[in-house]
Amino acid sequence: MTMGFRRLARLAALAAALLATIAVPGLPADAQEKPRTGGILTWFDYGDPGRLDVHAESPLVVQQATAGIYSGLLQYDPDEPSKIIGDLAERWASSPDGKTYTFHLRKGVKWHDGQPFSSADVKASFDRILNPDFKSPKCGASLKPMVASVEAVDANTVEFRLKFAAAPFLPSIASAWCRVAAKHVLAKYGDLNAPEAQIGTGPFKFKKYERGSVIEWERNPSYFVPGLPYLDGVKQYILVGGPTQLAAAKASKIMLWDAWPPMRKTQADELGRARTDVDIYQAPINTVFFIYLNAKKPPFDNPDMRRAVNLVIDRQELVAKSLEGAGVPCAILDPKLVGDFALPLDEVAKAPGCRQPKDADVAEAKRLVEKHYPGGLDVEVAVRQVGNYVDRGQLVIAQLRKIGIRGTMKTHESAAGYAAFGKGDFTIIATQDRAMDVNEPSGVFHISYTSQSGSNYGQYSDPKVDELTERALKETNRDKRRLAYWELQRYLLAKGDHASIAVGWVEGWFFKDKKLRNYKPGLTTYDNNTFMKVWIAQ
Amino acid sequence: MTGALGRFLRGQPLGAAGAVVVVVLILVALLAPLLAPHGPKETGFATYVAPSREFPMGTDQVGRDVLSRVIWGARLSLYVGLVSVVFGVTLGALWGVVTGYVGGAADSGSQRVVDCLMALPPIILALSLMAALGQSVNNVILALVILLTPTAARTLRAVALGVVAHPFIEAAEAAGASRARIIVRHLVPNCMASYIVLVTTNISYAIVVEASLSFIGAGAPPDEPSWGGMLAQGIQALETAPWMVFFPGLAISLAVFGLNLLGDSIRDLTDPRLRGGLG
Repeated sequence: MTMGFRRLARLAALAAALLATIAVPGLPADAQEKPRTGGILTWFDYGDPGRLDVHAESPLVVQQATAGIYSGLLQYDPDEPSKIIGDLAERWASSPDGKTYTFHLRKGVKWHDGQPFSSADVKASFDRILNPDFKSPKCGASLKPMVASVEAVDANTVEFRLKFAAAPFLPSIASAWCRVAAKHVLAKYGDLNAPEAQIGTGPFKFKKYERGSVIEWERNPSYFVPGLPYLDGVKQYILVGGPTQLAAAKASKIMLWDAWPPMRKTQADELGRARTDVDIYQAPINTVFFIYLNAKKPPFDNPDMRRAVNLVIDRQELVAKSLEGAGVPCAILDPKLVGDFALPLDEVAKAPGCRQPKDADVAEAKRLVEKHYPGGLDVEVAVRQVGNYVDRGQLVIAQLRKIGIRGTMKTHESAAGYAAFGKGDFTIIATQDRAMDVNEPSGVFHISYTSQSGSNYGQYSDPKVDELTERALKETNRDKRRLAYWELQRYLLAKGDHASIAVGWVEGWFFKDKKLRNYKPGLTTYDNNTFMKVWIAQ
Repeated sequence: MTGALGRFLRGQPLGAAGAVVVVVLILVALLAPLLAPHGPKETGFATYVAPSREFPMGTDQVGRDVLSRVIWGARLSLYVGLVSVVFGVTLGALWGVVTGYVGGAADSGSQRVVDCLMALPPIILALSLMAALGQSVNNVILALVILLTPTAARTLRAVALGVVAHPFIEAAEAAGASRARIIVRHLVPNCMASYIVLVTTNISYAIVVEASLSFIGAGAPPDEPSWGGMLAQGIQALETAPWMVFFPGLAISLAVFGLNLLGDSIRDLTDPRLRGGLG
């Protein structure tokens, strides 16, 4: 009897052990597997970055090209993307009035060239970004309204003094664009454009940049987080055009499609038919589809003409056709992303330019155009040749034609287009997606609406918009802040003559190879491009 | 006239078939506003609608009627083809005939210019020109004129040199005719046959070059109903909407096929060796 009981007990223990290994509810396969070191992650950029200065540029391809090379003071947690954790800063604290932030830096960190990292590098980077004469359309555009100065207290401590207590400060510092560069590299090269200047403290070292072809990173064996990264490297193919990108995905040349441009439904379906070893998912990418008018030259220096375009643009049609319905038309803020900071969509849908049917708005738009240009007018409509911008441009031209604005499309190569837009060398930009740096209601206004915003291509200035944006930024009470953003959105929708016209928030389809482990999409299209904790299963 | 037509139909059945295709192409181009059910840039329809009674050739990625764009594309293709070829071949022909007759340093020098232009790969030259000039239908025509002129000059120079060798040219010179008179009254009429052949064969070439430029995004602006541009946009949705590629591709093929057949027949008719004449 004793033997039988012992045998039963052994069997029960064995069964329990077996059950524990095969049925652990709620844990994904990733968590059960041990990370495997090695392998090259293959990825793609939608265009050639040309310039690589992460402080000075705004195209996603620049951030993608350099993401794994640099570290920031803070970052979004690769394991929990909504959480901010330390990167070069191991801890931080704010003063009681919220106007001073002190960051205590990790010790023993080295640059990829072996030079030691210190607070002097942080100060040099942020002095550069915050310099009023330095155009920094991403990090600078977010921080300049908030930050008064940056001081190196000692070799391992940095202090940021804010102009006012600002809720978006920490999310902005954690932004993938606010990366720390080496003081000695900035001194040597003057900027961060050259491949040789890509010296960071990140998990990967910059290995290769073949223009128009490929960008490669290799593991940084001296990365300050022991054991990371798992990957041997990352290879980013420069693939221009939807068909090329989709062909590469179908041919298993890339393991991940997580960034702009998102796949459309038709492309996702095609990929799904071609490959069964991928996970395809739909997601927002915290990106707004904008149309920009040049408010500094005719015809759009005239508010009536800007109002006319705002009225005639059929945002619902643009989202339905060019995004295949994957998007939120008209919204200046997307409730899915920022919750109740966004105006309710049913209110937005009644605004001039957004309401359906559009007959009254089109008639008013036509009247405004005829008032100034009785015979209509011809304009050049600029688009960059990326994603499906050319298709969007054709739709916009067709819509403008209804009110006598006859558009001729002028296409630009990606980097050349950005250069032209930055100089104001356009009349109307038919489409330009702008991704948010942070998942924060202030983001879109600092990107496209305020006078000093980073992508205010139309160079439009409305003091009331600046004032309302600043008021919302400074407000520390959440409810009052929400009301401030509502007031700002209502003002923009009602006035309807801004040079930046938000068509809608972009969503789409993406995929990742099933062998890829521990990859979690960030809240913005820029986050989690470091791949520091990603690994490839056998 | 009826007799000549009958002889042509019997003697050149393939040419006749080509002529029918060309006539249909011309009629479609001329009558586009009447034939096309919708405007070529009208985007008010659903996207990727398969061929149906309402849209016999389907709709494209921005909701335009493909049939209407194919019809209007005939007008654009013929416009580009005809204008560029007439200007380019005429310019080249005059250049070749005049320098061929004048001879000497002028002829030699101009032929070196022709050599340089012909040494450049045509598509590279066309791309460079379009990059410099910018995208528009008229700039495509200008690029094509620059492409076609040197070849026409070389060909018609050779023909002119053959005509100059005839005794009637010498007789005209001896009679005191001026160079201009000899060129206009004797050389040009005797080169007309070759000129006509060049024009007809080069129209199909011009259509293909325009389509190729538009296909790679360097030709007519994307919203223009260019068959090549339509092909490029259709490639992006080949699995989803193959009609976007099939119908403009068919249009290009038929147009080029018809023009080539007609051009070959005209060449055969005008070639004295094939007519059993001198040679």
